[in-house]
Amino acid sequence: MDGIAPISLSSKQHAWQLKAREFARDVLQPASLARDRIADPAKTFDWNIVRQGSQLGFRTAVVPEQWGGHGIDFVTQALVMTELAKADSAMAKTFSQCWKWSHLIAEFCTEDQKERFLKPFLADDTYLLGHAGTEPTAGSDHRLPPEDDPKSGWKLSAVRRGDEWLLNGEKCFIANGGVAKLFFVSTRTNPNVGIREGGTEFLVPIDTPGLRVGRRYDKSGWRFYQNGELVFDDARVPHANVIGEVNEGYKTRGGSFGDLELSANALGVCDAACAMAMQYSKAARPAARYILDNQMIQLKLSEMQMLTEALRSFVMRMAAEADAKMHGVNNVLLVNFSSDVIQRVTRLNMDIHAGTGVVEMPAAVDKLVRDAGIWTHLAGDSVQRMKAVRRQKLI
Amino acid sequence: MYNLTLTAEQLEFRDTIRDFVEREIKPVATHSSRLQPLHPPFPADLLALAAPLGLRTLMLTEEHGGANADTLTACIVMEELAAGDVDVAMAMAHTAFLAHALFEGAMNTEQRARLLPAFTNDEHGHLAYAGTDTGGPGWQYHRNRAAPAARVTAVRNGGHWILNGDAGFVANAPIAGLIAVEASAGVLIATRGAPGLTVRVPGTDSESVIPWIIGSGGYVTFKDCSVPVDNFIAAPQTLRRTQGHSVALTAAVNLGLGRTAFEAAIAYAKLRVQGGRPIIQHQAIGTKLAGIAISLEAARNLIWKAAWALDHPESAASLPTLPLETAARVFTAETVCEATEKAAECFGAMGVMRDMPLQKYVHDAVKFLHANVSSAVDMFEIGEAVAGFESSAA
Repeated sequence: MDGIAPISLSSKQHAWQLKAREFARDVLQPASLARDRIADPAKTFDWNIVRQGSQLGFRTAVVPEQWGGHGIDFVTQALVMTELAKADSAMAKTFSQCWKWSHLIAEFCTEDQKERFLKPFLADDTYLLGHAGTEPTAGSDHRLPPEDDPKSGWKLSAVRRGDEWLLNGEKCFIANGGVAKLFFVSTRTNPNVGIREGGTEFLVPIDTPGLRVGRRYDKSGWRFYQNGELVFDDARVPHANVIGEVNEGYKTRGGSFGDLELSANALGVCDAACAMAMQYSKAARPAARYILDNQMIQLKLSEMQMLTEALRSFVMRMAAEADAKMHGVNNVLLVNFSSDVIQRVTRLNMDIHAGTGVVEMPAAVDKLVRDAGIWTHLAGDSVQRMKAVRRQKLI
Repeated sequence: MYNLTLTAEQLEFRDTIRDFVEREIKPVATHSSRLQPLHPPFPADLLALAAPLGLRTLMLTEEHGGANADTLTACIVMEELAAGDVDVAMAMAHTAFLAHALFEGAMNTEQRARLLPAFTNDEHGHLAYAGTDTGGPGWQYHRNRAAPAARVTAVRNGGHWILNGDAGFVANAPIAGLIAVEASAGVLIATRGAPGLTVRVPGTDSESVIPWIIGSGGYVTFKDCSVPVDNFIAAPQTLRRTQGHSVALTAAVNLGLGRTAFEAAIAYAKLRVQGGRPIIQHQAIGTKLAGIAISLEAARNLIWKAAWALDHPESAASLPTLPLETAARVFTAETVCEATEKAAECFGAMGVMRDMPLQKYVHDAVKFLHANVSSAVDMFEIGEAVAGFESSAA
């Protein structure tokens, strides 16, 4: 069987979808454009949004129920991310970034680590999670380590001193950098072999001595979502914070959730673009005709809806397969597809609003295009596209 | 004979501007403070830097203090200037085109003698043209259209014309020393600061919109604005025939944007090492850059051919009946949009950072698709041309 097409939602899934829709409409949407407009990238963030979302369960949604979370399944995760992203893609990502690493804690962390990190995460509405992988000289190399250059990839060094490890180096573009309280940090514990054999993951709380947050990155899109620089200067991390085994860090990464996450988020942006374009087309009247009466507009609207619905089918199928514990390379192809679709759909929305030419563009239309541009730079580049084939080769 | 061997003079123009842009414009234009895309202030300081080059008078004859550049030469120059900054290039291209069209195409000797020195002596004075609707198809594709009506009325009162009305969006209006107005009576010249003439910049009075223009421009309104009778320079629609030159120059400016993104990507791809070698040596990046090179060269060929055709109207019989400059504009807009996106992709995450120029190149390239005249309208115009359609009233 190639996949599962979910036809109907359970009442629990539907309830989460509705809860997310209301939160997005009442809290995220009204704040979205104002946050996007703030020039200082460190000031676009709003803790009230995090607190309110957390109290509704969106921050801890995927932590298993036995640990005090909500344990929502992948289908529900996809539904919630889509609903949140309809209002603001970057705000949705701030919440789902926590899910990504909740998955990892549940799968790889020891009982002691869960006690020390999962409990405070659950108890504190402002406890956010992030992962530190990328370095100035390790971008695509850490996502697709080149087989013929084992020394490439992240270089942040971790050296053991008794019960502690000393971490030295720098991480860049780090998700939730500047706002997260706990980072999953990819280090090099054996520089003489490739990162698949010589990398180790650590749990590093933000108050670790020797760790500091550098600059915040000033992105053209996803303005609310924080990306920061992390600087490790003899940062002291206890051995008890090693995730899994030393030198086996490559096995303990985010898994395929990241692909579903980006794709479901893209779907929300596409939904927003379709709604915006249809509403505008039905309302606007140049000269003698409704905008919607033009074939060029009808063709563009139709293409937007066609691509969005195809993406929805793909996203929901992958979510259902994840729930059925079916794994393959299709998740990678899904994120590639979502990257193409989100660019195209947000640009068509802009074309429709531009009509026969404009000198002012609705800020909301421009924001969707800028947010969509982020996909090309984190998931749509060539490396991401080649990942599916590489994985099949290695199977 | 269709021939694109550039003359020694054209090559010298090109190299002079390229050198100037590298030395004077790029270091300022790519400074992080200028790369914020939402409400970029018009770079008046950069425009002032370019003033001594004499580009405003580029297309005027030598007799009138210009360089006698034809449209092809002007396109070559504006591509170079745009590689430094598109806003500067667009403003300059518009003034260069209008200087020729107004002073040499529309004014009589007396008017030129009176108005030209004021323009040539003030190197920061630019030109604007408040026309009627272009008369293009808009949404009225393949429908007969009424002749465009003047938005501004001109009523004679003794030695003056009194202008009233909303001229809509006018390119260069905020920086213009002279604004030519296509009013009901004909084309009149209003001067900067004339009582009753106001200019409002788009996107400044509402947070729900952002300005979507390349270069300088503003909404122009006349309220009992008085213009001397002597400033009546031409009958209505006189200047419409020359608009093609402006379209070709817009495409050239757009091309300069694509080229600068391409050059940045090449330089970075040679430096950035991933996968054990400079990324330009990876097939995925190499072919991406090759694709950009091909598309930009195709756009340049179309622009130059359109410019050459405008410079050689006698060649009409040997060229296709397409409106070549419109084809060049729409093709270049689409091509450069894709080229800047691909170029930015070569930069990974740096491609979306506001302290790097790539995200601005992408944002500017998207603006070219819609600013003032959208690509959709260009396609309608070409669609009507290939069908042989002519609006009975136009």
